[in-house]
Amino acid sequence: MPIRTTLTSMHEPDPSSTPSLWHWLKGTWVDRILLLLTLITIIMGWSWIQQNLSGTPMVHIYHGKSLLAIYPLHPDKPIHFQAKGDIGLSEITIDSDGVRITHSSCVSQRCVLSGHRHRIGDILACVPNRILVSIQGTQKLALDAVSE
Amino acid sequence: MTASQEITQIPRPSLASLEKKAYWLGLLLLASGLHVFEALMPSFGPWFKLGLANIITLIALQSMGAKAAASLAIGRVVIGAFFIGTMFTPTFIISLTATLASTSVMLISWRFIPRISLIGVSLLGALAHMCSQFVVVEQLFIQQIALYYLLPPLLVLSCATGWLNGALATYITAQLTIRSR
Repeated sequence: MPIRTTLTSMHEPDPSSTPSLWHWLKGTWVDRILLLLTLITIIMGWSWIQQNLSGTPMVHIYHGKSLLAIYPLHPDKPIHFQAKGDIGLSEITIDSDGVRITHSSCVSQRCVLSGHRHRIGDILACVPNRILVSIQGTQKLALDAVSE
Repeated sequence: MTASQEITQIPRPSLASLEKKAYWLGLLLLASGLHVFEALMPSFGPWFKLGLANIITLIALQSMGAKAAASLAIGRVVIGAFFIGTMFTPTFIISLTATLASTSVMLISWRFIPRISLIGVSLLGALAHMCSQFVVVEQLFIQQIALYYLLPPLLVLSCATGWLNGALATYITAQLTIRSR
């Protein structure tokens, strides 16, 4: 079958010379240095944020720059807050599970599908309605203090 | 002058030029398809996508150059938004701005960083895409700095997807080169 062998070898690389998965994944040394530097920067930034997030968790509800309400994350009874945004209302519920957006006027409903948030630093955002729900500690982040 | 003489005077593009245009168009359609497919896929979380369409931009960058890659990246966002139905919505603005930023970073790094491969280019592109998304959302829509609390974990995920997409683009480009010999 000499013809078939020739055609096959024209279109398919020889399996013995096919590089391993590692060959495709390793990148050059420049790529690896870039990855290392990036990861170091991210971890440093992340740990800095985590160190600064402490205290009693409070739910802050914003529309754009305006602070609409602040509630404790673990209220005695469930709280339902209706935030008026750019395209309509976003209903926010705070209960024993945490905080979530239960209803939104946006089309994608991604904010509703995001579910509960219950840790300091977590956020829920509805971009079309310009509503942000942020869980913050009573101790303020240095970044916030600077921006105020 | 007869009609047949007029036709013969129209300069015809070379076959190589037509092939190049057809190849670019094929890549654009593939990238737009992946863009729409990704938008319809179940979300892995808010703000986060795998960036599969960017693989095609990387292939265009390697095989056709910076100009073709940039026009392909912008073209697929516009065509994708047209088919998804998000044209001129906040999603489109965020997507287009992030694509412009990430493509610029990718082209600059490809041009100026020596010994960088498509993996490094893709990594930087993914990071630029994620950061620019947050900047646009913070500046235009949410206007709260608390938004950035979410950025570090998403940047870690961007590193992973950027690296894998770059590796996939390198693999596909190598296979295309082998098969076109």
